[in-house]
Parts: sequence; C-alpha cells; structure tokens
Amino acid sequence: MGTATRTDAVPVWRRRRARIYDREAPLGYLLLAPTLVVLGIFLLYPFLFGIWLSITDSELGKLGEFIGLGNYRFEWRNTDGVFYTAVVNTFLYTGVTTVFKLGLGLVMALLLNQVIPFRRFVRAALLLPYIIPTVLSYEAWRWMFDPTFSVINWLLVNTNLVHYPGPNWLGVPANAMAALMIVNIWRGTPFYAIAFLAGMQVIPLDLYEAARVDGATRWQQFTNITLPMLRPVLLVVLLLSTILTFADFQGPFVLTNGAPYNSTQLLSIWAYQWGIPGGAIGLGAAISLVLFPLLTIVVAGVLFLLRRPE
Amino acid sequence: MTHRKKRAKSGWSRRDFLRTAGVAAAAIAFPEIIISCGPQSGGTPTAAIPKPRKGASIRLLQWTSFVKPADAEFKRQAAEWGTANGVTVAIETVTGDQLQPKTAAAVEANSGPDIIQMQYGWPQLYADACLDVTNEVNILISKLGKPDPVNEAFCKVNGTWRAIPYTVVPNAWTYRTDYFQQAGVTSFPKTWDELAAAAAKLKTTGKPMSQTDGHAYGDSLTMWNPVLWGFGGKEVNADGKTVAINSKETRDAIRWAQGAVKAGLVVHPEWLDPDNNQAYHADRISGTLNGASIYIREKIEFHKYTDVTNNAPMPSGPKGTFAMNLIFNHAVMKWSPDADTAKAMLLALMEKDQYQKWTMIASGYNAGPFEALHGDPVFKTDPKLTAFEDVVAPGKWPGWPAMPSKKTAQAQTQYIVADMFAKALANGGTGDMEAAIKGAETSLKAIFERP
Repeated sequence: MGTATRTDAVPVWRRRRARIYDREAPLGYLLLAPTLVVLGIFLLYPFLFGIWLSITDSELGKLGEFIGLGNYRFEWRNTDGVFYTAVVNTFLYTGVTTVFKLGLGLVMALLLNQVIPFRRFVRAALLLPYIIPTVLSYEAWRWMFDPTFSVINWLLVNTNLVHYPGPNWLGVPANAMAALMIVNIWRGTPFYAIAFLAGMQVIPLDLYEAARVDGATRWQQFTNITLPMLRPVLLVVLLLSTILTFADFQGPFVLTNGAPYNSTQLLSIWAYQWGIPGGAIGLGAAISLVLFPLLTIVVAGVLFLLRRPE
Repeated sequence: MTHRKKRAKSGWSRRDFLRTAGVAAAAIAFPEIIISCGPQSGGTPTAAIPKPRKGASIRLLQWTSFVKPADAEFKRQAAEWGTANGVTVAIETVTGDQLQPKTAAAVEANSGPDIIQMQYGWPQLYADACLDVTNEVNILISKLGKPDPVNEAFCKVNGTWRAIPYTVVPNAWTYRTDYFQQAGVTSFPKTWDELAAAAAKLKTTGKPMSQTDGHAYGDSLTMWNPVLWGFGGKEVNADGKTVAINSKETRDAIRWAQGAVKAGLVVHPEWLDPDNNQAYHADRISGTLNGASIYIREKIEFHKYTDVTNNAPMPSGPKGTFAMNLIFNHAVMKWSPDADTAKAMLLALMEKDQYQKWTMIASGYNAGPFEALHGDPVFKTDPKLTAFEDVVAPGKWPGWPAMPSKKTAQAQTQYIVADMFAKALANGGTGDMEAAIKGAETSLKAIFERP
C-alpha cells in the first residue's frame, strides 16, 4: 500500500522524462534538436529559399511567380553570352589555385615542422593574411597591381626582370586571371599550412625513427609516413577549400569585378551582377545554384581520389 | 462662455468657406494654373506640405562625396533642421560602389534607412520600395521650376515620382595646359576627331590623355555612352525593346575609338573610378574625363598643378554633343515609420538658399536639378568651372533614347557598352570590332527580349 502510494506520488511527466533519458534513441534526437534547429534556420531555410527563388521570376523586394526551369534554361542556352565564360573561369580559378595552395601549404608546413629560429613567430606570422580584413588586403593588392603605382612592377623593372613599365596586371585578360589566382593563393595557403602542420604534429615520431633505422630517405619518409598519415586532414582541407574557392566572391569582385570585358567573370560575380545591381534575384539565384550540382561532382571527385586505400 | 467664444473665433465664417471652396474648385478644374502660380503665391495650394513629427528619427544613406566638405555641410544642414524640428537625423555615407549592395539588401529585407540616395535608374529597379513623392516634387516644381529631364527620367516610374531630384554630378574633361602647350595643342578639342589628333600629339610628351574602359561605374559609362551617341549609335530604340547596337553608327564610334587609341589615347580596362584621379594627381597623364573632383582637390588640397589645370566640356561627334553625368536623387522608402518627416526634411534641404550653400561648399562638384538652381553662383566663382555647368544640358541617361527602365538599368550595371569598346580597343586598338558588337548585341538581347 505504502509502495503504491509512493509510485503514485511521482508525476506522470517526470516518469515519461525518465523513460526518455533511459532510452538512447530519443535522448540522442533530443540532444540533436538544438543543432538541427540552428542548421535548419541558418542553412536549410536559405538553401531551400534560394532554390525557390531560382524557379521564380522574383525581383528584389518582390516575390515572383513560378516559372519552372526558365532561369536555368536562360543560362544553359548562354543567352547572355557570358555564362559559359564564367563557368570555365570558375573551374580554372578553383583548379589552379587549389593545386598551388595544396603544394605550397604542404611545403610551408614541412618547413615549419622543423626546428628553425623564431619558429613560433613565423607560425603566428603565417596567419597574417587571415588577420587583415579581407577587403583591406584586396585593396592593398589592387594597389600593388596598379599599372601606375605597382610596387610589383617597380621591383620587376628595377631588378631588370622585365622592361618598363612591366606587365599590366589587371588590364589584360590572362594577366588579370593570373592576378586573381595569385591573391587567392596568397590568402588560402596559410589555411592549408596550418591544418597540415597540426596534422604533422600528431604523427608519432617513432614511425620516423623506425624508418630511419631501416635506412629510409627523407623522401621515402615523406611519401610513406607523412602523406598517408595526413590523408584525413588533406581530405577535409581540400574539400573545404574547393567549396570556398568555387564560391569566392570578395577578392575577384574587389580586384576586377569581371573586367576586362568579362574575361575574369566568375559565376559568383555573375550571379551578383544579375541578382543585386540588376535586381533579377530569381535569375541570380539560379546562376549561383548552378554551382550546386557542379560542386557535388567536384566534391565526389575529390572524395574518390582521396579514398582510403583498401 | 469663453470656450464658445474661442470656438467661434477659430471656426469658419461664411466668407472663409466660400473663398476656400472657390480655390479648391479652381485647383481641381485647372491644376496647371495653380502650379504655374506657385512661385508668386509662395506656396502650393494643391499640395499637402508634409509635417515633421517631433521625436522622430530619420536615417539617410548616400554616397561619400569626392569633395569631403560637401558631405560635412550636408550633415550640418540636416542636423540643423533636425534640431529645429525635434527630429534625430543620422546621415550615413558609404563609397559609391557600396551603395547599391546596401540599397538592395534594404529592399530585400524591407527594412533600413528612411531615405536612400538613388543613383541612375535605381528608382526603376526598386520602384515598389520607393514611396510616391509626386506631391513633394510638385511642391518643389512650384518653387524651383521644371526639373532637369535626366533627373525626371530617372525619378518618374510609369508617371509616378518615386524619388525627389537631388543633384547632378557633371562630368567634363580635366587637362594639363602645360602639356597641351608643350604638344602644340592650343585649346581643348571641340570634336572627337580633334581629340584623337590631340591625343597623338600629347603622346610625345610622355603624359598621355587617358580614360578607363573597364568596370568603373562612373567614369567608364560617362565616357563611352557619349562617344556612342555622338556617332549616332544606341543600345536600343526609343521603344525600349528593339536592340539597335548592331549598326553602322556603332561601327563609326568604335572606328573612331580604335583610331584614337592607335594615335595615342590610352585606355585602361583595369581602372576603377578613383584611378584616373590618382594618375592625374601623380602627374602621369595630361587629361581625363571626370567629375570636378580632380580640379577641386588640386585647388583646395594638393596645390601642385592648379595653375596648369583647366576643364573643358565634351567634344562633339557627327551627330551632336552628348554627355552623361552622375545623377543622384533621394527616395523615401516604404518601410519608413516617419515618411512625412523624411519628406519634410528633403524639402527643407532642397530650399534654394540651403541648396546653394551646399553647392558652394561642394565647389562646383554638384549642380542643381531644377530650373531655379541653374546658373548657380558657384560656377561664377571660377571660370575654370564653367565646363562643368556646360555639360549638364547635353546630358542623357544610359539606354537613351529609350526611357530609363529596369532593363536599361541592367544593361548599365553589366557594363555592356563599355565592354564593347574595351573589347574592340584591346591590344592597342586592334581588337575584333565585329566580335565586340556581336557580344554586346547578345547581352542586350538577353536583357531586352527577356520577358
């Protein structure tokens, strides 16, 4: 009687709560819920809203009507004559910069992993491109590439590497594209280097010692120990960097804004041109979403290349 | 008793009623008479003058002027009006290329500053977000006369004023008289052909005449549109639908430009709006097309080449003289909780005395957009500023002869005309003209033939 009374005294909601805490799956979902809500609000909703915009004729400040794949057809048929240039440039920009950032980042990490003077200072200095506000650093690069005041050209001319006045960095299509890539590599390499350095520091030293005892050269140690052990870091860094570079906007916008005559046009800037100054937000959304299946293919390719060997 | 007496005093007499009813009937029957009588009567009987609300807060967003004291004076006047009317006024200024993204973000979010400076055809782009200000423009018309056609074309959307005309930033040529003399060019060219010949001579001085043909939202458009129009070319017909860029006249314009570049005019596709200013102040070039800011800053700030700097209006082409100036207007945004206060402030800032105090401090960088603001005393203070007054009248808008629209605004923001010239002027003026025209035609058709 007394026991029954005690059980009755525990409120129903408390008993249910206890049951939830005892079972793994509901508890898991419960703990996951806040994250899902945040992701839903800040990632899923904008993404789905973007998809909706891309299949409407929406304009800035005015939700439009459903037009199916009209915006996508408009671009795939290259109606504006610029879309395919932007697609090719975006792939080129991402491909070239990723290769350079990967290579240079790896070299930088290897050097910083050695015992060198002022190692801590050099490691901190590596983050400089990240500390400077983005637009400010791009404005500085614009000044360095300026044909009238270019410090790069001044150096090249004064070291007799080129004739006066030196290359027109942002005024010639090929040079302008190269300039965009240089700046992206400058800004992106430290990210790779820091990530690789962190990865290298957790590789057990015993492995290197054992390899040295077996007579392995430095190159053999690098290819047989460092690289395989870095594979997980490499995968994550490469994925993140590829996605971010594909959608890069700030640097190219500040440096060239697509000039000269759309030769450095990227999908991100082209989407902006239609969507924001042009007010055709539906079309702009479609151009930026064209990246989505392309990015999926690129990401799948990267994952395939870097898959763990069986 | 006292109450009843007061009410009787403030109430309407039969005479008052008849007088008011008569005026109202006349206003409805013959509004044009009322408007034309405006300045004499000193008011606008048809218009309801907006009243500021005490305690209101007004935010205004506009670009940072190249003449800093002009911004300071604008802020001072706005603050003075705010203090007098018990309104808190905040003026936010951003660089020209930041203004449109900020405006677009506000329009999309349906929230932001109460007043936004609309450049070029933005009222067409954001018409739904801009309140009808026809009443306020009519008040200004009654006081200041007709607005300039370009401001009117930009501000009026389907017959409704969506922005209040604010200012014109005239664009003229600024050049070095010493280098011109050295090259044997005695006066600034009056035609585009003369300009090409002058550029050839100036090349020998090592200080060429230079201009951008890149994605500079001011200087590139103000150069290449007038060149196109001067030779009879146009992007689209007056109907605003039929793309007309692929024409003999366009070819004539490009041929001139290619000849000028081969002769010695240096074009810079990499230059943005501040770059020709910097090149001039750094003694790298002998002439360029710009707002008055180069001359003004030389005069009030740098003092290096003031005496050897002069300004000249746009040269003429075979089809006449054309100019394109930067046109700024103010829109009161639909989300403003104090729209009447915002309108009242704008009207106060456009009062002739106030306005000309501001233009005087702007030193010739700005011109007024109403009849009564023409002949601004600032242009009499220095004969070298006359050129900037002269280019206001021949001013047109991008897309002319079609009226400004969303489509002309899109063509402008995609730099289609400038890119066409830039492509044809690549490699020292030897670019593929036909490919350039074809590219421009494709881009224009994508815009104007899009439903």
